[in-house]
Amino acid sequence: MIGDDLIARILREGERRADEVEVFYARGTSVSAEIKKGILGTAEESEAWSMAIRTVRDGRIGSSSTGDPDRWKECLEAALASGRLATPQQWGGFPKPAEMAGTASSSDPDIVVAIEDAAGMVDALLAGAAEHPVEVVGGSADLARSYIAVANTNGVAYGMDRTVAAVSLEAIREQSTGYEFDASPFRADIDARSVGEEAAALAARSLGGSEVATGRYDVVLSPVAAASILGQVILPALSGRNVKAGRSFLADKVGEQVFDETLSVYDDPFAPGLGSTAWDAEGTPTRRLVFVEQGVLRRFAYDLKTGYRYGEGSTGSAVRSGGDTPGIGFHNLFIDGPRVKEPGDERAVWIHDVVGAHTANPFSGDFSVEISNPFWIEGGDLVEPIRTAMFAGNAFEMLRAIGGLGNDARHVGRLTIPSIRLNNQQIIGK
Amino acid sequence: MADVRYYDVRSVRGEVTQIDIDNGVVESAGTSFFDKTVIRVLGPRGWGILTRDHVDIDDRRELDGLVAAAARLAAVTKDAISLADAPRGVLAVPPLGEDPRDVDLEEKTRLLAGIEAAARIEGVANTRARYTEGIDAVRFRDSSENEYSFEAVRSGFSVLAIASKNGVMQMGSERDHITTGFNLRDKQGLGRKAGEVAVSLLDAKLPKGGAQRAILDPELAGVFTHEAVGHASEGDLVREGASVLGGKIGEEIGCRGLVIVDDPSLHEFGFIPVDAEGVAVQRTEIIRDGILRSFLHNRETLAAVGDGIPGHARAEHGAPPIVRMSNTFIENGDASYDELLAECRDGILLIGSRGGQVDPGRGIFQFNAEYGYIVRGGETTDMVRDVSLSGEILSTLHNITLIGDDRRMSPGYCGKGGQSVPVSDGAPHLLLEGAVIGGRGE
Repeated sequence: MIGDDLIARILREGERRADEVEVFYARGTSVSAEIKKGILGTAEESEAWSMAIRTVRDGRIGSSSTGDPDRWKECLEAALASGRLATPQQWGGFPKPAEMAGTASSSDPDIVVAIEDAAGMVDALLAGAAEHPVEVVGGSADLARSYIAVANTNGVAYGMDRTVAAVSLEAIREQSTGYEFDASPFRADIDARSVGEEAAALAARSLGGSEVATGRYDVVLSPVAAASILGQVILPALSGRNVKAGRSFLADKVGEQVFDETLSVYDDPFAPGLGSTAWDAEGTPTRRLVFVEQGVLRRFAYDLKTGYRYGEGSTGSAVRSGGDTPGIGFHNLFIDGPRVKEPGDERAVWIHDVVGAHTANPFSGDFSVEISNPFWIEGGDLVEPIRTAMFAGNAFEMLRAIGGLGNDARHVGRLTIPSIRLNNQQIIGK
Repeated sequence: MADVRYYDVRSVRGEVTQIDIDNGVVESAGTSFFDKTVIRVLGPRGWGILTRDHVDIDDRRELDGLVAAAARLAAVTKDAISLADAPRGVLAVPPLGEDPRDVDLEEKTRLLAGIEAAARIEGVANTRARYTEGIDAVRFRDSSENEYSFEAVRSGFSVLAIASKNGVMQMGSERDHITTGFNLRDKQGLGRKAGEVAVSLLDAKLPKGGAQRAILDPELAGVFTHEAVGHASEGDLVREGASVLGGKIGEEIGCRGLVIVDDPSLHEFGFIPVDAEGVAVQRTEIIRDGILRSFLHNRETLAAVGDGIPGHARAEHGAPPIVRMSNTFIENGDASYDELLAECRDGILLIGSRGGQVDPGRGIFQFNAEYGYIVRGGETTDMVRDVSLSGEILSTLHNITLIGDDRRMSPGYCGKGGQSVPVSDGAPHLLLEGAVIGGRGE
């Protein structure tokens, strides 16, 4: 496999023409067994290779990427050309080799990227779904292994393995649908049978819901619904780039009580999860970052470019996928707090998921979405399905005073989040 | 290879040029390269699909090895697939007005900076503009000796303005993408419009939630068409039992006079000269005079479901083809905009789109307007913001009471199955009865 030799060659070649050079390299293999109409319909295998080059000269950052090793020279030329157009900025250099603040593992030696193993997970998904009277319309089991590396002309040369096991299933009964999913670096974390069972249960139990009248109700957002809305609105507001550009509602609020005093938001790159890593996508050592502590805003996230530009320093928060240029993100983000009150004791509208979260206004926090699999919840039990409704609110306002967090935190992508009870929210019936 | 009933190979080699200008700072401006190939084999039952970087599809031995590997994948599948015969043919790609490759990166950056600067009017706190250009060289070959190649050129931009006052932040955004040449010249007007919308939204009100009469502008009505009808008519969803439109061919699902079309052959942003399985593309009338007539199909879903037209298979580079929309629209009716306003009397006028989403199995969709105006006595009055609409596929098309005569198409990107493809959608102004507005105003 083309890799280390080519990286060294690009760094050598690039250094003659720029102050500094960085190469980000990724290769991976994945398999996917897809369910069509309740049986294994399609088997896929993918091999991907990508190399991204960044050059810096007099504070001008250039970048390019290629999926074709034979075009590396063109790619280096394109990076240098791109640097000539970039606006120069304060720049303190790519990282030098450093001690890591902790260790992180996001690779499972037991994961074999073989279609037969994925097919076995599909069997388990389908066996779980068969426990309820539903049709399975789709779903998949995926296994992936990748290697990513970052190297620069200051001597950094880090590499790590990543693995992912992921399953999902979508079921339908008449006009009632249910979707569930899970993903982890570790095969043993994935219980395909229960994911299948839960998706089917949602479809089966949501059938025949009653109407709800427009008005104000207490609402319980499941971890999935909470992740959808908060992911669209709260997370971008913590990015240092958005803060400095005047695109964050939270800018200028460091030290203020912005959320309910029970809520904390932190990134723990050393916790086991899909984003676990000891160094970020630019080779900066990662660290545990507390953004919101008991409701008080503490800090924002930065990568090298934004950090240098505004004199803040990188927080080790650079993330990137494939050939994209790095951006500010999170490794394993937690929305957490004491589970003082069990959400759902008193009657409320429980919302499993929302339709259209991406249409929320990320700057003001306003959203109005259609809700999926809503139920009346009483004493912690889903007692009666609701047919359909919309939910409108403001994500920043609604977190200022919450009704409590559930004991049901789960991973939703790189986010770990419990259910959240919110009092007096606007529900629009049909 | 006895276990190979059919195979095809599709490779896309290309370049992507992107420029990102944020508050006057050129954050990045550059070109990247990719070369992706997807090999599909239909085995005794279902598909085995391989994705690789950098395959020489003229190298017979390399290709044979990949077909054999895909056949081994196909062996684990259980779903019995058959492929319908479909007409072949490749349309000419529209001629380029100005080839974006003839414009250097420096000039592109300067033009984009002009659009971004135009958005920076008084009251605007942040502006951002992004240019995206894609040059794709597509090659296709299958085991039935069909072969084609073409080049797709796309050029366009988006511009965002954020206005800020007393801790309130509002945004305005505009975009324009074409497949017919370079698209950055004389576009400062769109930058200015983004700035003006952002500033005027600072004083807009929150709409009251609930059912009311609504006029949708052509852009929003296009998104409505895409979400409310387009996805649910996709043959793969119908086949899988995931669409409420399954089994409804011949039924009246909309008002009289309503015609909804998906047409990949139009020279709009969703244009394709041939589909991703080598099938000829053609205009497909999904709904004619309110009656459901055709599903959108690929060869596989046409064989399984019937009642529709193939040529709707599309793929992002490096991903297998799936059934997709291309240019989706409602045909013009005969009502003028003034007639719509007069007929609406009291309701809401909704303009622009921040996107939408549909659950086609449940038959429920949601989409969001950029802004709107309260209509009172047939006149537009107060501006409103953050307003969503939701509806049910099987009833909502009956609620269209007037169809305008001013159809306009808007370009965008549509996501499905993890793949994003260029599309356009559009409609004339529409008047909807009993539209459910998701506002939180009191």
